[in-house]
Amino acid sequence: MKVLHHKLLRELLAAKGVLAAIISIIAVGIGCFIAMSSTYDNLEYSRKNYYRLCHMADFSIELKKVPVGDLATLTEVPGVINILPRIVFQVTASLEGVEKPLSGQVVSLPAHENAPINRIVIKQGNYFTDQRQEEVIVNDAFARAHHLQPGDHIQLILNNRLQDLLIVGTAISSEFVYLIGPGGLVPEPESYGVFYLKHSYAEDVFGFEGAANQILGQLAPEFQSPNRVREILDQLELNLDDFGVFSTTPLAQQSSHWFLKSEIDGLKVSATILPTIFLIVAALALNLLMSRMAEQQRTVVGTFKALGYSNQEMFLHFIQFGLLIGLAGGIFGILIGYSLAGGMTAQYRNFFEFPSLTNQLYPRVIILGMLISVFFSVLGTFRGVRSVVRLSPAEAMRPKPPLRARRILLEKIRSFWNALDFRWQLVLRDIFRNRTRTLGGVLSATVGAMLLLMTFSMYDSAFALLNFQYDKLLLSDIDISFKDDHDYAAYFESQQINGVDYAEPLFQVGCTLKNGIHEKKVGITGILSNARLTIPRDTAGNRVDVPETGILVTRKLADILQIQAGDSLEMIPVSGDRTVRRVPVMKIIDSYLGLTVYADFQYLNLLMGESSSLSSVQLKTNPRPAATRQIYRQLKQVPAIQSVTSIRDQKEKLQEVLIDQMIVMIVVVIIFSCLIFFGSILNASLISLSERQQEIATLRVLGYTPAEVGSIFLRENICVNLPGILLGLPAGYWASKAINIAYDTELFRMPFTIGTMSWVYTVLLGILFTLISHWPVQKAIQKMDWLKSLNVKE
Amino acid sequence: MPAPDADALESDLAKQSTILLSLKSISKTYTTGDVSVPVLHHVDLDIYAGEFLVIVGPSGSGKSTLLNIVGGIDVPTEGDVYFHNQNISLFNEQQLTRYRREHIGFVFQFYNLVPTLTARENVIVAADISAAPMSADEALELVGLGSRVNHFPAQLSGGEQQRVAIARALVKNPELLLCDEPTGALDLSTGRMILEVLGNLNRELGKTVVIITHNSAIGHMAQRIVRIGSGTIAETKVNPHPIPARQVTW
Repeated sequence: MKVLHHKLLRELLAAKGVLAAIISIIAVGIGCFIAMSSTYDNLEYSRKNYYRLCHMADFSIELKKVPVGDLATLTEVPGVINILPRIVFQVTASLEGVEKPLSGQVVSLPAHENAPINRIVIKQGNYFTDQRQEEVIVNDAFARAHHLQPGDHIQLILNNRLQDLLIVGTAISSEFVYLIGPGGLVPEPESYGVFYLKHSYAEDVFGFEGAANQILGQLAPEFQSPNRVREILDQLELNLDDFGVFSTTPLAQQSSHWFLKSEIDGLKVSATILPTIFLIVAALALNLLMSRMAEQQRTVVGTFKALGYSNQEMFLHFIQFGLLIGLAGGIFGILIGYSLAGGMTAQYRNFFEFPSLTNQLYPRVIILGMLISVFFSVLGTFRGVRSVVRLSPAEAMRPKPPLRARRILLEKIRSFWNALDFRWQLVLRDIFRNRTRTLGGVLSATVGAMLLLMTFSMYDSAFALLNFQYDKLLLSDIDISFKDDHDYAAYFESQQINGVDYAEPLFQVGCTLKNGIHEKKVGITGILSNARLTIPRDTAGNRVDVPETGILVTRKLADILQIQAGDSLEMIPVSGDRTVRRVPVMKIIDSYLGLTVYADFQYLNLLMGESSSLSSVQLKTNPRPAATRQIYRQLKQVPAIQSVTSIRDQKEKLQEVLIDQMIVMIVVVIIFSCLIFFGSILNASLISLSERQQEIATLRVLGYTPAEVGSIFLRENICVNLPGILLGLPAGYWASKAINIAYDTELFRMPFTIGTMSWVYTVLLGILFTLISHWPVQKAIQKMDWLKSLNVKE
Repeated sequence: MPAPDADALESDLAKQSTILLSLKSISKTYTTGDVSVPVLHHVDLDIYAGEFLVIVGPSGSGKSTLLNIVGGIDVPTEGDVYFHNQNISLFNEQQLTRYRREHIGFVFQFYNLVPTLTARENVIVAADISAAPMSADEALELVGLGSRVNHFPAQLSGGEQQRVAIARALVKNPELLLCDEPTGALDLSTGRMILEVLGNLNRELGKTVVIITHNSAIGHMAQRIVRIGSGTIAETKVNPHPIPARQVTW
C-alpha cells in the first residue's frame, strides 16, 4: 500500500496548519503526563533509594528519659526488628558574624559510621574522629546557607552551657529530606539546622549517661500496614510507660516524610487529571478534522470501494492519519515532558535534600505516554471517519445531501432577527447548524477558562492562608521559646529588651486529648484573654475569644475526636504531672489550621498545677534593622532560650517560595490554556473556511474586503468562545473547590477563595486568546484563491 | 439491401458470445425515512462477453443505478444478478468487494481521481489490490498517457484525467469495464478521444465495455444499444454497423 502512504503524507502536509494546532494540544497533554509521571518517579525512586541507603526508621518514640539497658525487650515485640536509642534536643546556635540567634536540633550518632538506623550521608569533610569529643557534623543545607566548611567552628547552647564545636563534616539524611523548624511550613536553612554530635558527648553534656530520649525502630516488612504499626506502637508505649513517653510517631507521620509523600502523591493525581483534559480536547478537535476530511473524500472513498478496497482497508488508511498525528504528538510530548520534568525536578531540589535527585528517562512512562497519545488520536479519527467509510460505494459517490435549510430558533424572534445585519445572521445560522463543531468549540473554551481560573484560585488561596496566618492570627515579629517552662519573670525581662515594643507570654502544653476510643496528640496554647499577638480567628477572620475555662478547639480536631461544644475530654500531658484531667470543650471554631487548641493562660496554668508558667514569649518589635540586630544580640546571651523565630522572616520566606512556585505554574497554565484556545479555534475556523469557500468567494466578488470577510469568522469565534469562557467560570469554581477539599489535611487546609481580579483575568485572557487565534484565520482568508473557489465542486 | 432483422442479429450475437452477466427481474427502491423512490422495475438484461454495450436513457431513468448493481457497488431490492453463474445479489460485503476487485473496472463521469496522487499513482492504487495486474505504465501507454504520468490531476486536462481513470480501471485486467457517462464532462473532440480509447480496448483487448449515457449519439458506436426509461428497459437493439468513435458526433 505504498501509494496510499503517499496520499496520506501529502494530505497531512496540506493540512499542516490545523494539524500543528492539534498536535500541539496532544503534545501538551502528553507532556504534562510525562512531566508529572517522570517527576513522580524521580522523587519516588530517589526517596526509596535514600531510605534504603540510610536505613530509614519505621517509627520513633520520644520520651523523657529511658535507660538504654531497659530497651532490650523492645525487640521482643512482634514485628520490631531493630531499635536505636538517641539523644535529641532543640538548641540554639551561634555563628560568628550572624547576629540572629539560630536554632536547630541536636541528634546523637554512634562514634563510628554506619548507624543501624537513620544513617547520614557525608557531603563534605568526614565523620567523627577519635581526636576530640567536641565535634559536630552539620546538615548540609545549613552549612551552605552560612558558607560553613569542615574546620569552621559553631557554638551551641547545650544544656544551658555555651559549647564551641568543630565542624568536621556536613551531611544529609533521609530523616530530614524536608527540614522545617517548629511551627514552620517551609525549610529555612539559614535559620534552622541539624547538629550531629557523638552519642558519648551528648550523654555527657546533657547528663544522659546510659540513657536516651528518643528511640528509633524498624519493623519487619509484613508489619508495615498502618493498623499493625499502630498496634506495635501502642504496645511499645505501654512497655515504656514508666519513662514518660511524649509521642510515638510512625514513618507516615514523620514530618519530613509526610511533606515529601504528600507532594509525591499529589503528582500522581495531577498526572492523571490534567493530561486527560488536554487529550479529550485534542480527540474532539481531531474528530472534527477527520469528519471533515472524510466528508471531503467521500467520493474518493466510494471510488476506492468501487475499485475493490474493503471497509477495513479504508478504515486502516484513515486510522493511519490518527496514528501519525498521535505519534507526532507523542514524540513532541515526550520532548516537552522530559524538559518539564527536568525543570520540576530542579525545583524540588530546592526543597528536598536528596543525595541524588536527577531527571531520568523512564521507558515505561514514555511507552505509556505514546500509547495514550496514539489511543486518543486514533479514537478521535475513528469516530470522525466511520460514518463515511461505512457508506456503500454508490452512496459514498453520491453527493452528500445538502443541509436542510431550516430556520434556527432565533429567527423566530422577528424583531431581534431583523435588527441584525446579514453577517450576524450568517454567523448565528452557522453556529446553530453545526452543533457538533459549536459544542466542541464551547467545550474547549470552557476547559481553557477552567484551567486559568483554577490556577488563579490556587494562587489566591495560598496567599489567603499566608495572610490569615501572618496578618490575622500571628501578629508578633519575634517568638522566643524556652527549653523548659519559665516563670513569669521571663516575660517581664523580655519586655525590657531594647527594641521590644510589646511582649506577650504563651504557655504550651503537649498532651493527648481523648474522647473514649478517639484520641489525638496535640499542643494546647494558653494565651492571655486580651492577647494581641496570637488571636484565634474563625475562617471569616473574626476574633474568637478564648473562654475563661475550658478549651477552644478547631472543627478538624472536633471531627477527629467526635466531640461537640459542651462535651468534655480527657487530657493527659506528655510531660510533667501526667495525671489525667478533664477539660470541657467550650467552643469549636472553623479554622484553617488543623489541630490547634487554645485555652486561657491562667486556666491552663491552674490545670497543670502551675502559677504563671510560660513556655514562650511573643515580641512586637521596632521594625528598624538596627533594633532587630540589638534584640538578637541580647537574646543570644540567654542560655535558657531554645529557639528564636523571626515571624517576619518566616512570612517573607514563605511569600518568596509561594511566589516563585506560583509564578511558574501560572505562566505554564496560561501557555497551555492559550494552546487549547488556539488549537480549537484554528481547527474549527480552517474547517469552516474550507466548507465555505464558495460563500467567501461570492462575498469577495461582491466587493467585501478580506477584513470584512474575516470579521464573520471572528464574530463566530467570539460567539462560540465567549459562552465557553463564561461556562468555564463555574466549572473552574467547582474544580477549585474539589481541589481544595482534596488538599484538606490534618495540618492545615487552604482557604477557598477566588479574588475578583482572578475572574476578570480569566475572562480577559480567554478573549485575548480568542483574538490571537483569529490572526492565522485572517491570513488564510487573505491568501485564499477565491476566484478558483467559485468553480469548486463538492 | 434489406435491413438486417434486429432479433436475428441479437440471436446471432447470443450464439457467438457467452453471457458474462445476467440480470433477472432486477428492481431497486431507495428509501429515505418515510419516502420510498422506486428506480428500477423488474429489469432483465444479459451482457455478453466481449461486447460493446451502450445503455441510453435520460436523467433519472435508472441507468446509473443499473450500472452500480452490475458493478457490485449497489445491491438490488429484488431480483438476481448472475456473474459466471454465481448469484452476486446474494453476496455479502466482503464477497462484493472481492467481485469488484477481481472482475470489474469502473470509469466515472467526473473521473474520481485522488487529487493528491499523480497519474501513475492513481493507477497503481488499483494495481496494488489486483492479483495479476498489468503494469501501471503499460495501462497508461494503452490510453496514450505515457508522457504525463507524474502529473497531478490538477495539472491534467479533462480528457487526460479521464484517460487516467480508464487506465486505472484497466490495470486490474477486469473482465467487465463499466463506464458511467465517460464523456459527460468533456467537449466533443475530447469525448471522441475517450470513446476511441474505450473502443480500442474492446476491439484489441477483447474487454467487455458497458457505457451508460444520456447521449444517444454514442449508441452508434455500440454493438448493442439498450434504451432505458422510467426504470424499465424500453428497447434492446443490435447495431449491425457500429461506427468508429471519431465519427460519433453530438
